[in-house]
Amino acid sequence: MKIVIDGKVCEAERGEYLLTVARREGIHIPTLCHNDALPGLASCRLCIVEVVEKGWHKVVTSCVYPVSAEIEVFTASEKILRMRKTLIMLLAARAPENETIGKLMQEYGLEKPDRFKKENSSDCILCGLCASACEKIGAGAISTVHRGVTKKIATPFDDPAADCIGCAACASICPTGAIKVQDKSGTRQIWNKTFELLICPDCGKPVVTREQAEYLRKQMQGNPIEYSGDGTVRCERCKKASAADRFRTAFS
Amino acid sequence: MSNPNQADIRMREAHLSEGTLRRDCRTVLVCCGPGCLANDSPAIAKALRSKIDEAGLDVKVHPLIKETGCQGLCEKGPMIRIVPDDIAYYKVSLNDVEAIVEKTLRSGEVIPKLLHISAKTGKPVLTLRENEFYTPQVKIALRHVGEIDPHQIDDYIDHGGYGALEKTVKEMTPDVVIEEVHRSGLRGRGGAGFPTGRKWKQCASYENSPKYVVCNGDEGDPGAFMDRSIMEGDPHSVIEGMIIGAYAVGANEGFIYIRDEYALAVETIRKAIEQARERGYLGRNILGSSFSFDLSIVRGGGAFVCGESTALMASIEGKVGEPRAKYIRSVEKGLWGQPTVLNNVETWANIPVILTQGGDQFRQIGTEKSTGTKVFSLVGKVKNTGLVEVPMGIRLRELIFDIGGGILGGRKFKAVQTGGPSGGCIPEELLDLPVDFDSLTEAGSMMGSGGMIVMDDRTCMVDVARYYVQFLADESCGKCVPCREGIRRMAEILEDICEGRGQESDLDLLLNIGETMAEAALCGLGKSAPNPVSTTIRYFREEYLAHIQERRCPAGVCRELTTFEIDGALCNGCGLCRRDCPTDAITGSTKQRHVIDQEKCIRCGNCVDSCKRNAVKVR
Repeated sequence: MKIVIDGKVCEAERGEYLLTVARREGIHIPTLCHNDALPGLASCRLCIVEVVEKGWHKVVTSCVYPVSAEIEVFTASEKILRMRKTLIMLLAARAPENETIGKLMQEYGLEKPDRFKKENSSDCILCGLCASACEKIGAGAISTVHRGVTKKIATPFDDPAADCIGCAACASICPTGAIKVQDKSGTRQIWNKTFELLICPDCGKPVVTREQAEYLRKQMQGNPIEYSGDGTVRCERCKKASAADRFRTAFS
Repeated sequence: MSNPNQADIRMREAHLSEGTLRRDCRTVLVCCGPGCLANDSPAIAKALRSKIDEAGLDVKVHPLIKETGCQGLCEKGPMIRIVPDDIAYYKVSLNDVEAIVEKTLRSGEVIPKLLHISAKTGKPVLTLRENEFYTPQVKIALRHVGEIDPHQIDDYIDHGGYGALEKTVKEMTPDVVIEEVHRSGLRGRGGAGFPTGRKWKQCASYENSPKYVVCNGDEGDPGAFMDRSIMEGDPHSVIEGMIIGAYAVGANEGFIYIRDEYALAVETIRKAIEQARERGYLGRNILGSSFSFDLSIVRGGGAFVCGESTALMASIEGKVGEPRAKYIRSVEKGLWGQPTVLNNVETWANIPVILTQGGDQFRQIGTEKSTGTKVFSLVGKVKNTGLVEVPMGIRLRELIFDIGGGILGGRKFKAVQTGGPSGGCIPEELLDLPVDFDSLTEAGSMMGSGGMIVMDDRTCMVDVARYYVQFLADESCGKCVPCREGIRRMAEILEDICEGRGQESDLDLLLNIGETMAEAALCGLGKSAPNPVSTTIRYFREEYLAHIQERRCPAGVCRELTTFEIDGALCNGCGLCRRDCPTDAITGSTKQRHVIDQEKCIRCGNCVDSCKRNAVKVR
């Protein structure tokens, strides 16, 4: 079916999310909590757009709004811009020093809000991507706890999480870089837990945590990641190099 | 289905139709609703029972003493009623038991001191109908609450209960049932007011199975006890409504979600489900038909947000009680992704009446677009607090001043808050507003589930807004940015205003955050959360400005901004304020003007409340 986004006629499938259609058409809608690999969380609300259907205007979150009729969409109407600015201001009040939010403020021409208390500020905007990714991976080591203004992302009872495999997917998916992961002298620290990092026998660089390697081996039965005889694991780069070596010897 | 008590019913009907006072068929209804329970009504019921046994009254119809659900006028509890004579006694204590048995039950004599005194005529009135609290009421959802013993299914059946179900499964097709509900114009009583018939029709149109019906009994608004009273006072009406709904949409399983704080409701519903199962109203092949349906209770964990339909369903599924976007409606994909009809307690309780009397009859009551009645819990600074059911379209003034009896302590009405914490505050100039879904929304408030809190002139509207926003800050699920961060910042600003740190630009900022929340929040909680703020700014802007510009709280509530003074021209030196002052800040000789020592004064406001001459002023 055909829909119109910011004046551009776009082809969309029934049930397809508005954000997906817009991105395919090269129309920029800002998001923080969206990731193509995960189900829509619709928590940051930055992707709000105005939809006009049979003359009715409504504000929807484009990341989870399925196209079901021939609609006209405005991604940056006056109203949307006003509300998006308020959302960014609220995020900036929560995470005043954050770089990602700082860039958004710049993009929308906003000053740092000075009306609010600085206490309890945090880089985490509680979008929930980390918990969602952790669940998708199958570890489920972190989740949101409490509710309302005291809500946070945490391991059960803030203890070192038994289920955490130290993969740091949470940190890499976090849009605001709020999750701290520290790799040094052969260990990784994340979520109050210290992991041993397996070192690539060829180049000596840390590859993955032992728990992650074990987890992957269990998950990918019959197609284990490459272990060396001494229980070490090669990094991607050296793995390729060693495969190339094997080819060279086999065919030379 | 034959009913073991039919002979009994016929006998009772015969008695009633005679209309004479017959000692042998009297029943004493003792209110055991939450308010009266707290005032020891079960002990009164017990004492009445043993006194009657002792007195050896000739009793033929049992139970002579009935412990009922809430009879309504909580303010005057414990209440008892004697039927069929229709004598209502208020504020009954254990000391009155002997007189009630000896005088009223034995010799048909009325005890004047236990009667209600009419505010209009100043004379005692005998019956419930004559009490102005009850006169304008029309009971549909509450038809049996306070009349029957909620623990006895037979009592419900004696009052016509399960008749609608019998008619439905034996004589009506699901389409006809839906059409009847549609014709009634019934709209969801949980707050949003979605047409129930349309909801059912949509759900029935999906063919995937299984389907579910759900009852929302997670009543969480402060000061609200409508649904609780129905669940505790007439559980079978809810169950019967749900069975009919399930039959109409094609569901075989249902859930009643009750907040865990409602221990009595959980217990009453649990017993009722068991009894309904024993009688074949629940379970396989209901009333000999091919239709099967069963119900279970799910106990909520105490999160206000779980009253939101999608959060409630997540909670039933065992997930964190957080809402989801509703672009795909629950009637298509609800509980476990299956078609689901969710209605609240009061909506379900209306269903049997609609099926018995017909949709056309139902829509005779109320207004064209808001048909039927609505149950309210009338609380706050009103004389008659309690549970009321009135036709839609009744004026707020009638509700507060006629039924509610006006403002306590002769003070002045200031505002009424409808629709729970995310409703709005309606000022005096809108008192002639009809109470229906659309008028309340237009005024910036909402029907909500039926909490109605009356406020007098000793209420600071900024403080009220601060209170509700603080409540919501604790109860927001925290999933989406506008609600979580918006409420947090609103609370911060309101606290600043109440404590004298308000800024000129704050009102615009509050309205701006409010607009974004109303449009961009994920669920109904966040969308309606700015209502108390936006309506108080809309109707009481002056009061906000006094806080911000003059650093003054005109109602004398916000302590940092309040100074009390005694008006020398009005003070007659009676000394009441001096007696009630907890910090001995008031001095003065008898019959001489009193003064307040501002150093010692903690701005509690006791003196304002105790002064009979209104001489204590807020500067």
